[in-house]
Amino acid sequence: MFTPLKTIFKNNLAVIIFYALSFHTFTGLKEIPNLPLFSFNLQMIIVYFYVLKFPDSLGLGHIFLAGIINDVVIGTPLGTSSFSFLVLSFFTTYIRDHTLRPKMAAEWTAFIPALFVSNFSYFIIINNFSHLSFYYIEMLRVTFFTYLFFPFFYYLFIIYETKILKANA
Amino acid sequence: MSDNRDDFIIAIRYALLKKGAKQKFSLFFLMMLSIFVITLDKLSVPFIFSTRAVLNDLVYQVSVITAIPGKLVNSLNQIQINHFNVINKNKILKEEIEILKNDRYNVLFLKTENKFLKEALDLGSARTINEESSIKARVLIDQESPYLKSLIINKGKKNNIIKGMTVFNNNYFIGVVIESNYLTARVLLITDLNSKIPVVIQDTNVNAILTGTGKKKNLKLEYLPDGFVLEPDKIIYTSGKDGFLATGLPVAETYLSKKNKLLIRTLGDPQQASIIHVTNGGFNN
Repeated sequence: MFTPLKTIFKNNLAVIIFYALSFHTFTGLKEIPNLPLFSFNLQMIIVYFYVLKFPDSLGLGHIFLAGIINDVVIGTPLGTSSFSFLVLSFFTTYIRDHTLRPKMAAEWTAFIPALFVSNFSYFIIINNFSHLSFYYIEMLRVTFFTYLFFPFFYYLFIIYETKILKANA
Repeated sequence: MSDNRDDFIIAIRYALLKKGAKQKFSLFFLMMLSIFVITLDKLSVPFIFSTRAVLNDLVYQVSVITAIPGKLVNSLNQIQINHFNVINKNKILKEEIEILKNDRYNVLFLKTENKFLKEALDLGSARTINEESSIKARVLIDQESPYLKSLIINKGKKNNIIKGMTVFNNNYFIGVVIESNYLTARVLLITDLNSKIPVVIQDTNVNAILTGTGKKKNLKLEYLPDGFVLEPDKIIYTSGKDGFLATGLPVAETYLSKKNKLLIRTLGDPQQASIIHVTNGGFNN
């Protein structure tokens, strides 16, 4: 009658990780001391990957809510991250609908304009709706490493979704 | 040409309005909702303040719980580093104790001399800063964000903490309260780009504005007079010209980097702050 907690956790891992990251403002390997160089936005990778490959695993409502939580934790105007994630989702949906034969390399390349559009909307909101100054170099670095780490997480999530989940199904 | 444009518009409309099998909301609806929330936040509608305060308190409390594993790993790592540093520190401290002992004798002599001179000049007792009521608080979240350098503390309006109060760690000024909720508050660190403090440099009458750089400890001075050359090993104090911060609070120091470049760093370490004091302006230990 009741679904076991383990099954819920397995089937909704993407959503759980996504919310956990929003509460924790994860900035990649920067969390590890003496490794200040590598910081990347795992949330962007998750949104892009799941909207592209498994849209039913990560609902848009979750993306919106996690964005709101992220804004509260970071201290940016409410709705900024949500809007940025949703713009990324929109761009990704457009790419998904226009892709005939999906290839990892093509999806990785399409991640560049997707990140650009998403970060651009973020800039516009921050600059027009708040008095916050921006660390542009830091943003650029985060975006670059987000793009660079994409294939690693791509294969990791593919393995999880196709092999582990299907094997257990 | 017009067919292509129509196709593009149809594709965009499809991407915005299409709902998946398990999706409850369309992208268009959620994007409009985000814009609505951003606008409400910008317009500062009265009810949004209380809603945001409740939301902040709730999210911060959950955030504290989710941050426990990360904090545990960090503290274990810190314990390991401290363990290896303890012998070297012991040697340095022994040398410092010797120097301080000599300094103490000098201070005692100067105190006595000062007392006699005051009596001779009939100045009486010097004016002291009024004892400020400081509120002790614990740092709940000190995660780094590429956008804002801030801390979340476990005291809020319930404990009389209001926006604009100053925050100290180990007697050093580290930031200002920029957001106060019922149970929690957010402290903007002096290392943040948005932090601006009027300061004065040791042994000079030069006033400047101390600004954060977004880095862990480094700061920079703005509005220095033309031709002024900053020297290393100078302490930077608050000038009190903003009418809020007390005058003469040590904030930062100048130093020479390994590349022989003159830099400015905070005296306190906001990253290491766990227990902090929140005051109305000055901290009198």
